[in-house]
Amino acid sequence: MQSSQLPAQIEFCSVTKMYGPIPAVSNLSLIVRRGEFLTILGPSGSGKTTTLMLLAGFVTPSKGDILIGGKSVAAVPSYRRDQGIVFQSYALFPHLTVRRNLEFPLEMRGIRSAERAKRVERILKRVHLNDFGGRMPSQLSGGQQQRVALARALIADPPILLLDEPLGALDRNLREQMQVELKGLHKEFGITTVCVTHDQDEALTLSDRIVVMREGRIEQTDAPEVLYDRPATRFVANFLGEANIFENPGFKIQSDVVQPSGTVAMLRPERIGVAAPAAPQHADSDLRQSVTGTVADMIYAGPLRKYHVRAGGDLIVVREHVASGQQIFRPGDEVRLEWLRSDVRFVAA
Amino acid sequence: MNTLQKLAGTPIWLAVPAFAILLAIFGIPMVLLFLISLDAPTFSVANYQAFFGHGANVRVLFQTIEVSLVATTLCLIIGYPAAYLITAVSKGLRTTLVVLVVIPYLTSFLVRTYAWIVILGDRGLINNVLRDLGLISSPLQLLYTRMAVYLGMVHIMLPLMILPLVSVMLGIDKSLMAAARSMGARPFAAFWRVFLPLSLPGIRSGSLLVFVLCLGFYITPAALGGLRDAMLSTFIAAQVETSFDMARTATSAFVLLGIAVVMLVIFGLDLSGPRGRAARTSWKWVHLFGTPMRYFNEFAAYYRAKYWNASLYHAVANNRWWKISGTVFVLLTMCFLLFPSIVVIIMSFSAGEFLQFPPPGISLKWYRSFFDDPSWTGAALTSIQIGLGVTLLSTIVGTLAAYGLNRTVPRLRSFLTLVVLAPITFPSIVVGIAAYLGLLKFGLIGTKTGIALTHSLGAIAYVLVIVSATLANFDRRLEQAAMSMGAGPLWTFIRVTLPLIRPGITGGALFAFMHSFDEVVKTSLVSGVSIRTLPLKMWEDMRHEIDPTIAALASLLVLLPVVWLIALYVTWWRSRPSAQRALPEPAT
Repeated sequence: MQSSQLPAQIEFCSVTKMYGPIPAVSNLSLIVRRGEFLTILGPSGSGKTTTLMLLAGFVTPSKGDILIGGKSVAAVPSYRRDQGIVFQSYALFPHLTVRRNLEFPLEMRGIRSAERAKRVERILKRVHLNDFGGRMPSQLSGGQQQRVALARALIADPPILLLDEPLGALDRNLREQMQVELKGLHKEFGITTVCVTHDQDEALTLSDRIVVMREGRIEQTDAPEVLYDRPATRFVANFLGEANIFENPGFKIQSDVVQPSGTVAMLRPERIGVAAPAAPQHADSDLRQSVTGTVADMIYAGPLRKYHVRAGGDLIVVREHVASGQQIFRPGDEVRLEWLRSDVRFVAA
Repeated sequence: MNTLQKLAGTPIWLAVPAFAILLAIFGIPMVLLFLISLDAPTFSVANYQAFFGHGANVRVLFQTIEVSLVATTLCLIIGYPAAYLITAVSKGLRTTLVVLVVIPYLTSFLVRTYAWIVILGDRGLINNVLRDLGLISSPLQLLYTRMAVYLGMVHIMLPLMILPLVSVMLGIDKSLMAAARSMGARPFAAFWRVFLPLSLPGIRSGSLLVFVLCLGFYITPAALGGLRDAMLSTFIAAQVETSFDMARTATSAFVLLGIAVVMLVIFGLDLSGPRGRAARTSWKWVHLFGTPMRYFNEFAAYYRAKYWNASLYHAVANNRWWKISGTVFVLLTMCFLLFPSIVVIIMSFSAGEFLQFPPPGISLKWYRSFFDDPSWTGAALTSIQIGLGVTLLSTIVGTLAAYGLNRTVPRLRSFLTLVVLAPITFPSIVVGIAAYLGLLKFGLIGTKTGIALTHSLGAIAYVLVIVSATLANFDRRLEQAAMSMGAGPLWTFIRVTLPLIRPGITGGALFAFMHSFDEVVKTSLVSGVSIRTLPLKMWEDMRHEIDPTIAALASLLVLLPVVWLIALYVTWWRSRPSAQRALPEPAT
């Protein structure tokens, strides 16, 4: 990601939004660069939707300022901001046909009807809905509605695209398909995109960078790989994927670095190997730590097998890809767990 | 820019015109009346002591409560099984039955009261039939009795009991009854332990609504009852007519209002907590008055069929005798609701000189008599003028208020909605006296403007309730979407909000017109001597000379709700974003 070289498109400068005495967003500072796909990820109530609403102009900041293209937009109403927004439930106008829905943003920008028709046909083709212009939104499937919503947000070529839980209403298969499509559109239009979601898969797949929010504050901002591999805090570690946090391991965690104070050791389940106690050691065993424990539970999940192993004071989750010739352990079996010392991370408690 | 946006963010000021009218014509006069009843500025309760010290007053007070209680109980006894049976039938039949309940609800209550005069009179339907059968020789005294009062009141109030009950019962998941059966409950036990408790909210709100409205009844007891059946409203009206002693009248009005409020507080409020209280009550009222509207919505939206539940339900009640007696009961109820209107229509074609039923011959002379008499046609014209004025004013003002209130914090919204609804929840006579006092200050007594403003009090409430219900279902993200695409607040409203809430506005406008076109109690107080509206003239004629001209007018009025229903159906059906309509592409 060379995004740091690109100019900033959106800047949040210490933005706070209060609802009564409760801050929905507090002291948030964030830079989104031109052409970047940034995802704001967080559980419900973390302030991610408020952040998006602030950016969209539906909510005004109580403190701080928001700059778009270097200009303050705190006092600019949403209809003068020139953004495309895809709403959670799509917000397609139920009384207008697909074509009229798509024309709406063009009409508001005073574009002539011949030009409008041309652009509508072009975008309909782009989202593979050529023959659907005359339909009402209620006559479309969820995936088709999603694509109309996306087309409507993009048709006026806004410099910024905002997505509010864009794929939340779709079923799993359709969602994966739309993720690919969304990524393609983003690349093609090169549009600065801010997406809000609570779905970590969506965030990891689509984004150049992810902002994890918690209780109105930014917990960490990084590229997906960095965020997953080197979470800064325990919250991030737990929110993105699964994490073993060693609270009271009962053994000394070995690491190549010194454990900073105020942190706990964290290890991803897929980084841990499981073997019978008597199985031969790895060749690089001096780089590894191994402990023994008892299988408490085994969960079979298609391509994966998950073990819950009691070792020391903690229950350690181990995730193993199913392969032929593997030894399968049952609850009560003694096992040896081992991992590379370099895979251990220290996260803020 | 910033201030503009802030104003747009809190458009509560849109409700200002509505509240200005409400305060000027009703709110401030109510306060003045209360002060008068308390002998302000000296302040004493002497007027109230005088009221309760008078034996006749107390007797009328208790009689009012008694009549209201009996009428409410009768409504519940008939309405509960009727509502239950209506929910049990298939979707198509249910829609028909609900429409049949709504038609009398929308029919002028003067017409319905008049119908009972035709049926119960000395030469009316019942007496004539009995005489022809040789069962009696001289007519029975049916009219001007307590029984006639109950018949008339139950007939008028029954739809208001059935509709909330049906709406609550439709919300009860019928598979719960099947579940109870599967756990070994017999049909009656399943009903008693599962269905009845779940339908209690409907019983409570229906009974409360009927009871409170009964307390304020004036026309029906005065027309159908004897001298001994006076209700408090009748009594107050007589006070106003004989001596306009404001202090006495105000006192009686506040006693009447007091009972209504006490009843609402005891039975209407959820005592679960002071915070939820205001919100719940007010929205219940909204809910109640919005009920009929939701039925129209329902038959515009037939795709929401619950076939599965219906079939489960059929498994519950399969006994043949139950079915037959159920059918008979529903038929009788529907007859009771609709038959009086039919009697009036037949009566209007009578060739006889009196209210004689069945009529001795067929003629159109009473229609001619209506259209040839300038006092009738003039009154009709006045009513139409006032009605159109009221509709225009209250639709605009009420819609603005609904939009404004929709965008404020819920607690303020609940409170303000409750305030707007006061003119249709308070007894008409009380509202009428307040309006009289209010218009007196503006010198508008006996003017069309004055009458229109008085009618607008109630009409705004109806518009507000109906438009609010539509707005509650309106997805505000659609407005945000429009704004994000560059549409300013005004364009957003015109292009997105307005087309989507238009059905509610149309419905509200129709109710506003209907309210004005049927209003007599308040009108009689503020119309002075020169202006006669149609209902007012009808009411005066009903009291003095009873000739079948009224029947001719009444049967024309009976047709109105049918026209309304068709109009509503057409607007709602057309506004439905549906498959049938959308396929042909618009040529743009």
